[in-house]
Amino acid sequence: MRGRFLRSTIMVAVAAVAVSAVISVSMTQTSGQAQSTRPARVEGKPNFSGIWQANNEANWDLQAHAARPAAVTQQGVYPYDYARVPAAPVLALGAAGAVPGSLGVVQGDGQIPYKPEALLIKQQNAEHWIDRDPELKCYLPGVPRAMYMPYPFQITQSTNKIHIAYEFSNTARTIHLDKVAGPPDDTWMGHSVGRWDGDTLVVDVTNFNDRSWFDRAGNFHSDALHLVERFTLRSPDVIWYEVTIEDPNVFTRPWSIAMPLYRRAEPNMQLLEFRCNEFAEEFMYGNLRKQPLVKHWEGDTMIVDITRKVPPGDLFYQWYGK
Amino acid sequence: MRDRYAGAMIMVVIAAVAVSVVISASGTPTSAEAPSKTPWGDPDLQGIWTDESDTPLQRSPRYATQEFFTEAQRAELDKLRSAMIGRDRRSERGSEADVAGAYNAVFTPLKRTGARTSRIVDPPNGRLPSLTPEAQKIAAAEREFRVALLQSTETCKNKEAACNGGKYDPTPSPRFAELPPRYNTARMNRHDGPEDGTPPDRCLTGGLPEFGGISFRRVVQTPGGISIFYDVGQGQGWQRNIVMDGSPHLPASIRQWYGDSRGHWEGDTLVIDVTNFSPKTDFQGARENLHLVERWTRTGPTSLAYEVTIEDPTMWTRPWTARQEFTRQSDQENRIYYEPRCIEGNFGLPGLLHGRRTEEFAFAEGRAPDPRTRDSIKGVEFEQDPLQ
Repeated sequence: MRGRFLRSTIMVAVAAVAVSAVISVSMTQTSGQAQSTRPARVEGKPNFSGIWQANNEANWDLQAHAARPAAVTQQGVYPYDYARVPAAPVLALGAAGAVPGSLGVVQGDGQIPYKPEALLIKQQNAEHWIDRDPELKCYLPGVPRAMYMPYPFQITQSTNKIHIAYEFSNTARTIHLDKVAGPPDDTWMGHSVGRWDGDTLVVDVTNFNDRSWFDRAGNFHSDALHLVERFTLRSPDVIWYEVTIEDPNVFTRPWSIAMPLYRRAEPNMQLLEFRCNEFAEEFMYGNLRKQPLVKHWEGDTMIVDITRKVPPGDLFYQWYGK
Repeated sequence: MRDRYAGAMIMVVIAAVAVSVVISASGTPTSAEAPSKTPWGDPDLQGIWTDESDTPLQRSPRYATQEFFTEAQRAELDKLRSAMIGRDRRSERGSEADVAGAYNAVFTPLKRTGARTSRIVDPPNGRLPSLTPEAQKIAAAEREFRVALLQSTETCKNKEAACNGGKYDPTPSPRFAELPPRYNTARMNRHDGPEDGTPPDRCLTGGLPEFGGISFRRVVQTPGGISIFYDVGQGQGWQRNIVMDGSPHLPASIRQWYGDSRGHWEGDTLVIDVTNFSPKTDFQGARENLHLVERWTRTGPTSLAYEVTIEDPTMWTRPWTARQEFTRQSDQENRIYYEPRCIEGNFGLPGLLHGRRTEEFAFAEGRAPDPRTRDSIKGVEFEQDPLQ
């Protein structure tokens, strides 16, 4: 682990010295005020600056899956797995709480090579999604998950640093193209050291803790996680993003995911705040209020009674008649 | 244990995640040199920046219109202030004040006295302008509410400063059942729910303007774009992506903790106009009407000046301007401070709430006194910094 890290920082130092001083003056041809001033290259390297977002179902589940009624389900009328219904806490969301299907983003055979004991934890994670997924508590999302959550992020590419600001939870990430040793403690977002492989940005990410997840399906890792990300511009508005994931504590072999990231091409696009720890307060601390807003707590357990009062005239058959 | 739990936890969460910026021994700025430029020709503001010396926001009246300290004054102040460092401010071991006052010199480091007598450069007396009658009324209402929640505690019984304007009454105030006069952003002797905590207790520390103290900011630039990442200590931080395309501010209906930042270059100065603040933010009492005009100028190889004009006609009778000098810091020595994390380890807030609920339960059963008769937000009595 440490040996690999040293090698990569040496390579980065070499790459940084070798950076060309050529500034491209060519402009991208896409629409939008901000984009008209963005050169296609910065110091001779492809310019990834701008606001991007994945447009897929990876945050629900990295693997191929059919649509499901909800992230957490319970047995319905039939005992079959394919006939389950949404679990109580998400029932009132109706179809908005459902999980869209996907062909998955896991490369090769589409399998995540869990060790048997780790697969068991993954399955338990999925069952206890509400209590375990760090996203629900607004914790830092980790990498690579931050790249494909349904929120935009902004890349600011300079010569020695590439900064990524994620809308979700004000998360920050600095990719060091110059030599900066890793932190003495592990982190949620990892320590990112980048280098150029031709026109591809290759980022080595280490120093993770074991707290973040890959998705809402309970896919997880340990603090031995090591990522190699590859960013390649396919067109001015599309990045092809690939990640090789290695974690000998959890997986039997390295595996990889890949997906396009799309430019948010709206001419007035800008990152807004999504300071979600405030939004998660009731979920996390509601049981500790002097006068609870949710009326049914049994200790730390929230008992969700669903009372859906339909205003007069809005019953579904009346709604059609309007 | 249970008794001191609530008071202690609020400090513990902050202490547990507290950081201080590692200040490298950098050379003296040589301001005569031309400001550096990025390869694409913009002034280069990039790097990690912080204030390496202490300057109070307001000038002590004893310096009147003196804008800069003399060298002799700085040396004298440094001598007085360094005598304070290392003082263990914790009182009797094992007492409530001991645990609640877990902040000691380790968490309140002092830096060398800065060149200026105040960050405020306008008005010329270095003091905040007077409040509007409306703002005075709000401030009085806020204070009255907070003092009412202390009326039945030792703090009022002993006529301590926190009770100024109030008087001791052994019966807890009926105002415990009231909402504060406006959205709470300050500490109060009540912990009914998360909203009774301060923004830092809730991992919601804001905001702008940000002058330093124990914070740093990293600036990264690209052609046509600037990103500023802040770590303000205590596990909290945020980012600004300055919109540089000349477009107007966000619609007034969109309010944000860090406002909406629109920038442009004026010569070598980055000028950022900030509006659209949320009513949940508070800077010296100013909230959604706060308007900032920031000016960021590189003044030397390792120095950067940050000047901000602060305006809120509902708050102050005139705009005012403050200035702070930042020094560039080492990437390597500050490499662990890129990841503000607070809510991920915030055991303090639930601990505080749980502690109060436990005390209320014990009181209801007749096993303990009414928790409303105890001041749970009592801080440590710090020595007065002679700089202030």
